[in-house]
Amino acid sequence: MTQSYEVFLGCAIPARFNNYESSMRALAKELGIKLIDFEGASCCGTVVLKSIDENSWLSMSGRNIALAEQRGHDIVTPCNGCFGSLKDTDHVLHDDESYRKKVNAALKPLGLEYTGKVKIRHFVEVLYDMKDEISKKIVKRLDGLKIAFHPGCHLIRPSNVAGFDDPELPGKVDELLELTGATSVHWDMKLRCCGSPLLIASEDVATKILQEKMVSANGAGANCVVTNCPACHTQFDIQQIGLKDDEGNSLELPALFVTQVLGIAMGIDPEVLGFELNRVSLDPINEILGI
Amino acid sequence: MTESWGQFKSFEGKKFKALDAEFTKEVSNLLGGQDLTACFQCAKCSAGCPVSDKVNIQVHEVMRMLLFGLKEVLETDMVWLCSTCYTCQERCPQGIDITDILFGLKNMAFKKGITPQGYIGARQSLYNTGRLYEPTDWERDDLELDPVPELNVDDTKKMLDKTKLMKLEEGE
Repeated sequence: MTQSYEVFLGCAIPARFNNYESSMRALAKELGIKLIDFEGASCCGTVVLKSIDENSWLSMSGRNIALAEQRGHDIVTPCNGCFGSLKDTDHVLHDDESYRKKVNAALKPLGLEYTGKVKIRHFVEVLYDMKDEISKKIVKRLDGLKIAFHPGCHLIRPSNVAGFDDPELPGKVDELLELTGATSVHWDMKLRCCGSPLLIASEDVATKILQEKMVSANGAGANCVVTNCPACHTQFDIQQIGLKDDEGNSLELPALFVTQVLGIAMGIDPEVLGFELNRVSLDPINEILGI
Repeated sequence: MTESWGQFKSFEGKKFKALDAEFTKEVSNLLGGQDLTACFQCAKCSAGCPVSDKVNIQVHEVMRMLLFGLKEVLETDMVWLCSTCYTCQERCPQGIDITDILFGLKNMAFKKGITPQGYIGARQSLYNTGRLYEPTDWERDDLELDPVPELNVDDTKKMLDKTKLMKLEEGE
């Protein structure tokens, strides 16, 4: 049976990482996952709004969920931030009647209601369910690609909300990546936050965290970083440019999306996967990727 | 690391006049605050926190300040330098929703005007456009992606007027 979802892109992907959307859509097409445009989507709610005012966050996020509910669709998103925000809202509204009433009062003038029927999934969850199909479609092996995979926080924590993978020892996306012949290396700082949410409060602190992550990734012998989140990718493919350790050695490693790695191994056209938009040079791994 | 953030930088030489039990109660009533008083100061939260070595006041100290009813907590750098990674919340042996409590503290601080400038601008964009960022159309054209579905911003404005997003400071 064909799976179908309304696809929630959020703000960061269309603004900065259209290669992520393009590669996600190409994978979905290849795997027969139907993606329906999310009409009327606003910002997911985001940790930014949750930080400012929780009632506004729940309303903003609850409206998106209620829109999908009205149309009878489940939601899939390729963004950890959107996934976390929508799941968190769903968790609060499901468990707490007083918040549910408050949000529904705000939604009523828009002709919407949250009742909790919609399933919210991350795109990598959907991919993981199709791991056997993906495995059969691998036509190009990526031997020699040593991936420092960064799961990102809101994909796995808090685990009672995210409900996807082990919060201390996640391995599901790594399993997917290794179907291609690539290695997902062990690195000490794998589970640490990328620092991206701090760019708004202190770029210095955000950069320090990124530096710690990249020292670890380089030390583990990785030749690229892979993410499944545009917020994390902002750190790895924008802030990382020119990043050095305390001795002045370059820490730069190419940054790829999960969908680009799987896509190239499945023989999808590199142009469609949007490698031209990757900002950190892909030269060190061009040959392995065959681009 | 010295941070420009937060007026409350150290406990050194500090004398506290009031231990405000009402403040502790107020925080307990926030989203995720229900188990606040179960904290027994094991400091596991700070042990796994990515900014522990970058702040003046660490997260277990924030928890202690909350139990003591010290409102000065809103002026510590930890509040806005919490990256919301949820490691502390995931690992707390007492099951306290620590990260969610920090979100609540951010809300309280924002109302008092204690907030990084970036959040003021973000609030304005979220209200004006219903989004944080706008699509980069030339990239989308190059990749032959369809336009991002439209949003009627009056809908989100209507809700955010109701939650008084642009008037939070007046509610203080």
